[in-house]
Amino acid sequence: MILGRLTFGLLAIAVLSGLALAPFWSAARPLESLEALIGATPLGFWLRGVHAFSAWGFLLGTVAHLAEVLAKRTERRLRPIVWWRSVALLPIAVLGLLGGFLMRGDAEAQAALAVFREVSATVPIAGRALGALLLGVPGSDLAPVALHHAGTFTLLAWLLTAEHGGTPFPDLRATVLAALGSFAAAGLFPVPLGPPVAPDGDLLLGPWYLLGLQGALLDLPVAAGWLLPLALLLAVGLARHVDGRARAALLALAAAWGAGYLALTLRLLLAGR
Amino acid sequence: MSSRRDFLGSAWAAAGVAAAAAGTAVLGRALSGSPEPERYVRLPAELLARAEKEGGLVLEGLHVRGPAASPVVLDLTCTHLRCRVAPIEGGGFACPCHASRFDGEGHPTSGPAKRPLSRPRLSPDGAGFVARLS
Repeated sequence: MILGRLTFGLLAIAVLSGLALAPFWSAARPLESLEALIGATPLGFWLRGVHAFSAWGFLLGTVAHLAEVLAKRTERRLRPIVWWRSVALLPIAVLGLLGGFLMRGDAEAQAALAVFREVSATVPIAGRALGALLLGVPGSDLAPVALHHAGTFTLLAWLLTAEHGGTPFPDLRATVLAALGSFAAAGLFPVPLGPPVAPDGDLLLGPWYLLGLQGALLDLPVAAGWLLPLALLLAVGLARHVDGRARAALLALAAAWGAGYLALTLRLLLAGR
Repeated sequence: MSSRRDFLGSAWAAAGVAAAAAGTAVLGRALSGSPEPERYVRLPAELLARAEKEGGLVLEGLHVRGPAASPVVLDLTCTHLRCRVAPIEGGGFACPCHASRFDGEGHPTSGPAKRPLSRPRLSPDGAGFVARLS
């Protein structure tokens, strides 16, 4: 499937551009280092844009490819364990991207870090430990976040994508296409940093792919931050194992989840105006 | 009647479970780290005088106002999900993450936060105070 190959190509571009960005980023002074990259390094703003757009493209491609597989009912071509690992690619992609967002170190990223820490703390038994493992202990710098962003989640994303696609590397044509798309988007649409401190009274927005969860947390208990995504993953994953009405019900649940998520995103955007 | 092999097998299984439980506990303890240490913020007399004159100011995550001799200090950490709240025009505080609002005394007035902003303990320190956040 062309969408799957293109998604793998986008991941490759995200990895390569991330490697190029790594020497410019500082865990102790994240915002200042990125401001220097954007403002004082030739093509720095463009390189950061390439990284952002290719990573966002990877997430969108993963979601779209998952929907494509379910729509064409081709998930049973994969062994059950491979299917579940492919479904796991979705949260891994989101966590990887979230790490990149936190690495900005601006007011939006600091707020997201505090929220992510509190949400992970509501996971029973291992929550606090999980938060410390992924985000470091409160007061530490962003080195643990960077480690998981560049190491753990990137490696897992590559392994699972390669397993799903049956090839360790993306094909050349898809990679060139992904590169051209990312290069053009980065040139056309600058990716700005947020303010260093929150403007008085204004709402700070998290990464665009988590706005629905941010909107949900206006009313729902904190644990909704992980229970809602888990419900979606279970619905999608279990769809491979059932037929007929049960499968239709699970897919309807996933579609309703998506619609609700969009509605919550819109609600948050309206609240922030 | 159980054989020696059965007994050894059970013993190994029990030892494995105990080792896994101990390992998990040690790992969990190591990963959870120590609780956030107490933080102290000095509030010298000059700063308190300025806070009184200006009607309040923000210092290291605290909002300080009121008479310099008996200041009112609020911790600006939102009680919903620990984002940093900010003073807003007309008095009170707003959380930028989920739109919780607090009045000038730190009591929640709207949004998901249900508990008031905390007030650090103040101890005299020369002509000023030291605020202790825990």
